[in-house]
Amino acid sequence: MADTRRNARQNHLALAQQIINIALERAMKAGDHLPEKLFSDDCGVSRTPIRSAFRLLEENNILYRREEEGYFLAISESDELLQAAQALEGMEQTLADRILSDRAERRIGDVQSVSALARKYNASRHSVLFALKILSQDGVATQLPGRSWAFQPMLDSPKAMDESLAFRLILEPQAILAPGFAVDSKKAGILRGRMEDFLTIREGRITTAGFMRIDTEFHCFIAECSANRFARGTLLAHHRLRRATQKDTSVPDFRLRQSLEEHLGILDSLEQNQFDIAADQMVLHLRRSRTRRPEAANRGIPPLIRRPRA
Amino acid sequence: MSVSPIIALFPEASFGAALNCVGIAQELQRLGATPVFICHPGFTGVFAEYGFKEYHLYEATPSSAHEAEDYWQSFISNQLAHFDLDPEAQLPTYVGPTWEAIVDTVEAAEEGLEALLTRIKPDAILLDNVIMFPAIIRAGCPWVRVVSCAETELPDANVPPYLSGLDPKDRLACKRFEKSYLKATDSAHRRYNTFRKARGLAPLPAGNFLETSEHLNLILAPTAVRYDRHIPLAEPEFVFLEGCVRSETRFDSPHFPVEDGPLIYMSFGSLGAIDTQLIERMIDVFAKLPARFLINVGGFLEAYQRVPDNVFLGSWFPQPSVVAQSALFIHHGGNNSYCEALYHGVPSLIMPYCWDGHDNAQRAQATGTGLNMHRSNWTDGELESAVLSLLHDVEMQRRLKGISEAMKAVPGTSRAAMAVLDCIESNMVAD
Repeated sequence: MADTRRNARQNHLALAQQIINIALERAMKAGDHLPEKLFSDDCGVSRTPIRSAFRLLEENNILYRREEEGYFLAISESDELLQAAQALEGMEQTLADRILSDRAERRIGDVQSVSALARKYNASRHSVLFALKILSQDGVATQLPGRSWAFQPMLDSPKAMDESLAFRLILEPQAILAPGFAVDSKKAGILRGRMEDFLTIREGRITTAGFMRIDTEFHCFIAECSANRFARGTLLAHHRLRRATQKDTSVPDFRLRQSLEEHLGILDSLEQNQFDIAADQMVLHLRRSRTRRPEAANRGIPPLIRRPRA
Repeated sequence: MSVSPIIALFPEASFGAALNCVGIAQELQRLGATPVFICHPGFTGVFAEYGFKEYHLYEATPSSAHEAEDYWQSFISNQLAHFDLDPEAQLPTYVGPTWEAIVDTVEAAEEGLEALLTRIKPDAILLDNVIMFPAIIRAGCPWVRVVSCAETELPDANVPPYLSGLDPKDRLACKRFEKSYLKATDSAHRRYNTFRKARGLAPLPAGNFLETSEHLNLILAPTAVRYDRHIPLAEPEFVFLEGCVRSETRFDSPHFPVEDGPLIYMSFGSLGAIDTQLIERMIDVFAKLPARFLINVGGFLEAYQRVPDNVFLGSWFPQPSVVAQSALFIHHGGNNSYCEALYHGVPSLIMPYCWDGHDNAQRAQATGTGLNMHRSNWTDGELESAVLSLLHDVEMQRRLKGISEAMKAVPGTSRAAMAVLDCIESNMVAD
């Protein structure tokens, strides 16, 4: 029961952070109204959890409430909103999150013993074991023979991200082409609406974190629609790993918008049952996303590109 | 001129020039022109990500990814030690060989460049490089020189020699450096002049690889750090941009386990990132300081383990957006980095590696906009003291605030774009 309550609170915290990010992306100002329906559509959840998240933001003086009118933004400076989002992140962090975050930031090594982690986080062995089991469910950590745990490769370096894209280039088009691919029209409509909303955000205001969130949701949607159970399972696990560990990469505004347009184009083809075309569009989308800057460049020297091009 | 003039931007194969040109191209596009990029091998896609059409110069004999990595490994092992030398000692070890390689690049690119320019039919060409490619002059349209290195790139009696890192008042040292520079570049220069002659261009004086444009020259150097020239560079041929800072994706600072202290950004450019041992040594010092550090480690993220709680490593940052949020910028003296620091009113701790990094380091110290420090010859205490003193220098911060306001009043990117369009128009009238 305690776990259920904790999970519910974590969900509200995650939703509250999502609401702040949406407010930032929409450049909302102090005093602006936050319509429940709009945020419920944007976040892809019903109004009940949105209300709970609004209450949480009110408790933290980020929103205020007027009887019969709803919730309004109490702060408007983007710095203040970012600080508020970070403060919520701090509240949200469970031990599993802290371990994962430290691993992704290279603060802890590849192999860790339970006792070393218990010392580092000043936590009981039982809590550390519990956290590691949560991480193992997401495929992030694996128990080795004995008392040590190994962390799986994460999407924390250009090389790892390139390997991830190479892997997805093999599997994502095939997930679409596998017989029985079925589009969930309702979910496709919600995703389409959210991506179209993103495209209305003014230049330079889309955050990489906001883009990453909608990007993984789109690619998870593709996996969920696939009728090949193994492709679906493998891709969903990989996207979970991306969501949990991929570092924000700075992508120019133009490419973020181009990516969203590509997502919409794929959705169009899928909804018209043109799966061959959708699979080809997916190849093009992933290849474009794989274009990387040289790792090093200097006058008089050929630029260093260590990753093979797709 | 077409309704929407086509401007071909041709930056050298370095991030500084490439991203500087992106800033100008963004403004040209906003003003209704059609900027396109001519890319050196390896830069494919860099400009397309910003929405610009690319034309590619191809390598005659493309090297495999493996060969390129071997080349860089050997470059790292051979050159790192040279970066510790003083500017004059770097002339025979680094500067001379680099000029030889630059001349190689020009010779290799010429045929392909001429073909591309015939295909593009630009109304003007922007060259952001340190050397002339004859195909540009032969293209028959106005060309614009972008001086994105330090102001020292354009010689004058009151300006210290290019790449010297010297104080102009130190006449004796300046004379000695000039002599050594001519000696170090002599072989490359002779070869280059022979090539120019073969392509129908007049030779250039010793030590000079790029003429000023008779049409337009755009100079990044902001007023605050400019020299009082013996022969002033007059408008309309010379336009000072007050920096040239592009707009980038918004940057949201990551969550640090330690949330106290000012934000400090460190980047030595993609070249500087190769010295992972030095950066590790610096991280050990940073771990003890009451500040949070964002460090650009380029393509070498996997070389780092055990990162302290107040440090965050990344392989790429939207630098102008990060500098805007920082209290201090530690860099190698690249001109874009220095201009971005000035533009956002942020003090610089410059630890130069090579080239005009030395000139900017000297200038930052002389103008009270930063500190000049050897890149590797320091003790932990000296690095700590340099960082803390810059964080607490209220007088420098006040000075930088004024510089920033002046630079932001007319952004260099708009000034550059307007000057280019004016240049095309006046050239049309003259024709």
